[in-house]
Amino acid sequence: MQEKENILRILNETKEALKNKNSFRLKELSNQTVHTSSIDQDKDNIAIAVLIYSLSKIIERKEFQSPKEGKKLYNYLLDQVSLCIEALRKNEDEKLRKLMEAFRTHLEKVLGGLKPYIQDVFRKAQINKASKIYEHGISMEQTAKLLGITLFDLASYAGQKPEISNAPWGQTLSVKQRVKLAEDMFR
Amino acid sequence: MKPSLSIKPSTDERVIIFDSSSIINFTLNGLLTEFRELKRIFKGKFIIPLEVKEEIIDKPMQIKRFELEALKIKELIEENILELPTSMGIDESKISAKTKELMNLANNTFSGRQSPIHIIDSGETACLVLSTILSERGIKNIICVDERTIRMLGEKPENLLDILKNRLHTQTITPKKENYKFFEGFKFIRSTELIFVAYSRGLVKLKNGIVLDALLYALKFNGCSISDEEINEIKKLNKA
Repeated sequence: MQEKENILRILNETKEALKNKNSFRLKELSNQTVHTSSIDQDKDNIAIAVLIYSLSKIIERKEFQSPKEGKKLYNYLLDQVSLCIEALRKNEDEKLRKLMEAFRTHLEKVLGGLKPYIQDVFRKAQINKASKIYEHGISMEQTAKLLGITLFDLASYAGQKPEISNAPWGQTLSVKQRVKLAEDMFR
Repeated sequence: MKPSLSIKPSTDERVIIFDSSSIINFTLNGLLTEFRELKRIFKGKFIIPLEVKEEIIDKPMQIKRFELEALKIKELIEENILELPTSMGIDESKISAKTKELMNLANNTFSGRQSPIHIIDSGETACLVLSTILSERGIKNIICVDERTIRMLGEKPENLLDILKNRLHTQTITPKKENYKFFEGFKFIRSTELIFVAYSRGLVKLKNGIVLDALLYALKFNGCSISDEEINEIKKLNKA
């Protein structure tokens, strides 16, 4: 695990955000890990970004709003985040990976009827994080590989982000010149 | 590794090399009829390296969500609309070996605080290698790629450096500028330029005053890195 101190801080703040049921803050925290992920491309960092983003979506569900069930679910999430922090502090990378996997499987189990929804949330979180990394200048193929998604998943999502297509750096040749290149090939 | 610019095309042969991003875009937009029409009027070959085939056919074929798209692309190969480098007598293993070499250079061109940043992968790099091999044989070629990183590395690596610095909110990205020369001289187009050619030559069946606009935006929204401003410029070229 690279950038350990930074990730520890982010996980501690994730706990606070969960206590405050603050999904917006969770999204912000997830994005913070992306900066380092783009450089280091550490798969554990990326998994944490995906997990935190997924949590931000999942806690918005009505199941988390009910006083009794919701409290139980929140307590589970808080306990798991605490265990992740502990594993990270002790440099127990393998344990950390298992704990992160357990989030998903546990949520799929206790929210039985929502299994497809949870799977979808995690998949979309992967695509969202991938588009962020692509935004940072890493190629589409490399990004898709890092996140374990396909280029088909990434292409349509990334295409809808003006931060990518409208960024001033993207234009590296005039339109006229590029069209001419294409037309010349067809002469 | 860069294509030998001093070598003038010695044959009438010409090739458009496709990266995964542009083929995926044509497929997701249901524009394979137009793609076939483009091939019909093209006096040359549409080629994909094996590494790209893996990304757009072999892998998605294993995923139910994209199985249909993979099948449609596979059909393009079966019809010889898309061909592999072996169809030109180019040894795949030679491409693979050179791809590793060039990828290693690309992925050691920008460094973060502690380590080099892995910016590109094998599919897009194989397109560059294939372009170099074709240029060495005097075959006119161009790379069609919709994603922006490889294009920026080839055409304006300083822009890629700016993105890395700006998006990462850090000035601690160190470029190895001596590597830039390995990526110079490649020619790139995008799916948007190809669809412009198709449109201006009457290959698009759909007839409506706003069809070009719709086509360009459809390609943009499925991953072609093109700005609104560039789209407006392309539309003006059509009126000119």
